[in-house]
Order: sequence, then structure tokens, then C-alpha cells
Amino acid sequence: MKKVMLFLFIIALLPLGSALAQDMPHAGAEIVATYMQSGTYDVGAENIEAAFEEATGIELELVASPWAVLNQNHITDLTTGTGEFDVMSGEFWIASVYDKMLPLDAFVERDSFGGDYIPTIWQPGPSGYFDGKRIGIPYSADAYGIVYRTDIFEEAGLSADWETWDDYIATLDQLAMHLEGSDIAPSVFSWGASEQTPSIFLGMYDGYLVDADGNYAVDEESAIAALEKMASLLAYNPEGAAGLSIDESNSVFLTGNAATMICWVSFMRASAQDPDSSLVVDNWAVAPFPGPGFPFLSAWNLFISEYSENPEAAWEWVKYYINPEQSTQRFVELGVGSPYLSTYEDPELMAAYSHDFPGMVHNLSRAQSVPWVFEAFEIFFRNTSELVIGSISAEEALANTLAGWSEVTVPPALVQSAAAQGQQQDM
Amino acid sequence: MLRKPATWHRRHDVPWLIAFVLPAFFIVVAVQFYPLAYSAALAVQEWSLTKSQEPEGFVGLENFVEELGDETFRRSVRNSVLITGGAVILEMILGVCLAYLTMGSSWRMRAVRTTLILPMVIAPVAAGTLWRILLNYRAGLVNHLLSLIGIQGPEWLASPDWAIISVILLDTWQWTPFVLLVAGAAIASIPGDLLEVAAIDGASRWKTFLYIELPLLTPLLLLTLVFRMLESLLSLDSIYSLTFGGPGYSTYTMTFYIYTQGLRNFNFGAAAASSWIFMAFASVSIALVFWFQRKDW
Repeated sequence: MKKVMLFLFIIALLPLGSALAQDMPHAGAEIVATYMQSGTYDVGAENIEAAFEEATGIELELVASPWAVLNQNHITDLTTGTGEFDVMSGEFWIASVYDKMLPLDAFVERDSFGGDYIPTIWQPGPSGYFDGKRIGIPYSADAYGIVYRTDIFEEAGLSADWETWDDYIATLDQLAMHLEGSDIAPSVFSWGASEQTPSIFLGMYDGYLVDADGNYAVDEESAIAALEKMASLLAYNPEGAAGLSIDESNSVFLTGNAATMICWVSFMRASAQDPDSSLVVDNWAVAPFPGPGFPFLSAWNLFISEYSENPEAAWEWVKYYINPEQSTQRFVELGVGSPYLSTYEDPELMAAYSHDFPGMVHNLSRAQSVPWVFEAFEIFFRNTSELVIGSISAEEALANTLAGWSEVTVPPALVQSAAAQGQQQDM
Repeated sequence: MLRKPATWHRRHDVPWLIAFVLPAFFIVVAVQFYPLAYSAALAVQEWSLTKSQEPEGFVGLENFVEELGDETFRRSVRNSVLITGGAVILEMILGVCLAYLTMGSSWRMRAVRTTLILPMVIAPVAAGTLWRILLNYRAGLVNHLLSLIGIQGPEWLASPDWAIISVILLDTWQWTPFVLLVAGAAIASIPGDLLEVAAIDGASRWKTFLYIELPLLTPLLLLTLVFRMLESLLSLDSIYSLTFGGPGYSTYTMTFYIYTQGLRNFNFGAAAASSWIFMAFASVSIALVFWFQRKDW
């Protein structure tokens, strides 16, 4: 009798099990996802890890590492074919191993994935592409911007509606006159964080970054003019600015000692509105990043390794982590720039961030990623740093850069990225 | 009972000796010789991850020639020599002086010695960050203290020359205690009767130091010098957090160069060749010190 009862009980449970299996088709799968250890992207992932595991039955392990270690881990894992990581967080810095990432077009099409991405972010460059196939899904978006003190601009009768760097410099001249005798500098930038200087150059430079043959190159005349203009900006900064780190530069602005700051807005957004760390609460706004170049874009993507044994489960995590709701939540809770338009069109958020959103959306819509591998990037920023401290001239900085670049190969994925973003020299 | 001959013992022990030595031998081969051999093999191959995910073939000494001709590499060698030379000389002089000044076993001296040793136990990366804050041009403690005595502090981390000096200062601050410890122990071990005889003979304190103590201390000081040179040449983390090799290439050292080539740019062939050049450079420097030690002055 007991056996019969047990049999009937199992039969009764079967439909339930089947339903569970349909809801959780990947239950039991184990995946590993990586993030940069930044207190933002990684924390955002940790916050939803338990809910994801409960909803899908997938066992998720999160691995957070500092930027340099993260890239080393990815490249080593993919080069050796170890397959330790299923989902990888990265940007174009790991383009040399883009061919080892799983194409995601079939997943995107099947699940109608996409949503209301800011159009530029969903394009090749900001989105990881290899050989014409999508391999990366962007989950963050931050563009270089200029923040300014609304109270000072109002006092001086100035507006922050510059379109070009010449307009911006003309405004700095007016600010210098207005602020004469005060401790406030017209501008501040993290010149001491030398890897940041290319961001200004990219905004000032109007030309190609890869030549028609797919090698690193620039239009020399335009590049020298941009380099000279970039170095000239230091004169508008407070004394000792040549050594300022990102945090130190932010601190100059937040303590009210600069009227404008060229920066990653996401690095200062939260603290600027915090009365405990800022003297400029409600007295700042994001201005357009001047042209003729573009604002440097940071857009982190999630990739799936071609060595992943559970690509479907990995895709489940990608979808769970990247969507308009989660992106908006990460923006509100952690200050991570959202790649979705809906975040910036949310009426409540628009009211709360009226000083921030218009400028930010404007900058994001023009922002581009660069086709530089780290080696090319470092050659450039070390030489621009030498220029800033007055060790070499703009011509020498460019000549050194071009000499260094002649030894560096552009990965095919980055040639394609440059072409897609209009950064390649015409044939 | 008949005793077995010594030769029997030796023969009988051989398998046991081999059994005990083999594991250690394999461990040494695995953790030392294999990586060295592998890096030697890499050094003569073309392999950059941006070009290929596998080695692209034998190139002989091409990597070495390219590295030696590379202006950035040559500059990193100059920076390493300047930083290591400056820091180690300062550390040796200060360490010996402090060892003499803090001799004694009273609780005060023990407390002073303990306090002086503290920088040595701070992680280099934390020490670099700490000094980055201290040397901040606008709000750093160092420039604030200088301003109190009417001196306008320099832009420590934004000027090429001052950036080098900053790195030397950091290394000196952190590692002088090591010299102090070794020199202190060496001074304490000098036989008291020798000093007594010198005093009876009317030798001044300076002459006693120069002709008795210094020759006795020299072997240990030279060994300390070797340790410090090696440590300083290999130093990466403190420079990484203090200056990140900048401004420009001002504090870009050999280890920074090798780290960047290998683990950031993934130019494995070039990084391996530079590592061998670095090893040769360090070996020659150390050999010179040992030659100096053996020389009969």
C-alpha cells in the first residue's frame, strides 16, 4: 500500500517538476561572471546575484578584479582556452581576443533583446563587434564632459553653451577676468593622471585615428594643433594642477575652487550632491563637451566566452543584469551611467537630475570609443604627459607617438570599430 | 657483532639519499628552472598577443636588439640606476648613522628602534599611496610643513626631477629601517675588547670607527647593499601607486617597463628579452659588489 501511495505521489509531482523545468530550463548550471572591482558594476551584480539564482536555478559565481588584473585574466583565459569565465566584463582594451568571444546575434534576435539603447551605444565600437557580428552587450555608458558652476556663470553673465574648444577657451578667458583676485580657477583637470589627457585631445582633434591601411595614424597637422591647444589649457588651472589625480581634481571642484572641470561625470556625480563632501551642491551642471572631436566614451560590455560550457545560462545572466530597469536602478543606487534612453526620460529622475541629464545625454549621443589597444594608448598618453610638463614640444610628442605606433598592430576588431565610427582615413 | 664496512653504508644509503633529494630537486626544477627556460625560449621568439595568439616563430636575438635600441627601455634603465643608486646610498648612510644613534638596550632606545622600523612593515602599494597624499602639491603635509618655515614646496609629482626624488624619498623612508636593523646587529657583535684596546691606545672615536668598526662591518654592509639593490631594482608596486611611472616616462623603471610589456601590452617575446637583460644587469651589479667584498683593501 505504501509503495502505491509513493508511486501516486511521484506521478502527482511530475507535472509540477515539468513546470519548474520549463521555468528554469538551465537550473543546476554553473557560470562564472567577471566584473571590475570598482564598488559600482561589481556591487550592482552582487545586489542581484541571489535573486537571479532563485529565479533561474543557475549557480552564479562573481569574480571582481582591479582593471589591469581583470584584463590580464580575460586575455590569459581566452588565449590558453582555459574557459574559467563564462561571462566577461570588458571594453575594447581586450579587442585582441575578440575572436574568442561568442557571437550573440542569434540570442539577441531570438529574445528581441535591445530595448531603448542610446543609438550610439548600440553601434559597433561602443558595442563589441567582431567580423560584423555582435559579441558584446553594453551595460554602462559614461562620456567625458565639462561640469560648471551655475552660480559663478550666472554672476558673470556667462552661458555654458560652447560648441567648440575655442568657444570654451574664450569662456575661460572671461571667467579668468571675472574671478581675478579670488582663489577660484577658471578650469581644473586631472593632469597628473596622465592616462586622462587623451580625452581632451580627442575632443579637440578632428581627423582619423587609423589610416586607410589599418595602421595607427593621425592627421599630423590637426593632431599638432590639438596637442598645442590641449597643453595651453593648463594655464587656466590652479597652481600645481599638473600633478592632480582624478580625486584631487574632483576635490578642487567640489571645494569650490574651480569654475569648470573636465571630467568623467560619473566619478563626481554622487559626491557633488552630497553636502558632506561638496560645497557646490545644487550649484553645478553638465555642459556639452566641445568639438570638433568627440567625447571619450566608456561603455562596459558583457561578453560570453566561446569556451563557456553553459552559453545559454550565461545569456540568462546577461539579460538579467542588462535591461532598462536594472540600469536605472544602478544609476540611482551606484551612479553608474545607463546606456538606456528610458533612464534619462524618467520624469522623476529628470526632475532630480535636471542639472545633469540634458548635458549627459547630449555628450553620450556624440561619444565614441577609441580603436587603441593599451600599448598604443600608453605610448600616446605618456608622450602627451611629457608635453604637458614641458619636457617636449607638440611636434616631438607626435613624432614619438608615431614612432611607437609603427611597432603596434591594430587588431582587426578595432579597425572595424574605427571604420564604423568614422575614425578611419578614407581610402 | 660484525660491523658493516663504510662503503656498504654509503652504497646502502644512496637510494635513500636520492629518495629524499629528488622531491626537492623536482620542486626546484619546476619553480625555478622551468620558468627560466621558458622565458629564455620566449625571449628568442616573436610573440605579441595583438598580432597572434601563438608564438610566431624563432627570431634569434632580434628581441634583445630591439629592446636595447628602444628609447623607452634605455630611459627606464637610466631611471632605475638613478632611483636605486640614490635610494640605496641614502639608506646605507642613514641606516648606519641611525644604528649608532639608537645603540643601547634601554626601553627608550628599544622604543625608538621599534618606531623607526614601522615603515618597513607597510605594504609598498599602501606606502606609495600614503606618500602620494603627503606629497600633494596643494594640500600635502610635506608642502604644508615647508610653508611653515617659509619654503614654497615643489610640485613633487608633476616635475620630472622632483618625481624621481619623490620615489627615492619613499624608498629611503621605507627601507632605511632594514639597514638600521642589520647594522645595529653587526655593531652589537663587534668584540668590546678591540674597542677597549683602541681606546687605551688613544684612538679617537672617528679613527676607531674608520679603522676598526668599519672594516668589521663591511662584509655585512655589502651583503645588505646587495639585498637593497635587488629589492630596489625589483620595486614596482610603490612606484605604481606613487607616480604610475610618470609624469610622462620620468619614473618609468625597468620593472615597470617589463610589467607593461608583458602584462599590459602582452608583448611576451619583448618582455622576456627585457627580463633577461634586467637579470644580466642585476647580476653584474651584484657581482661587482661581491668583487668589492673579496678585494683585499
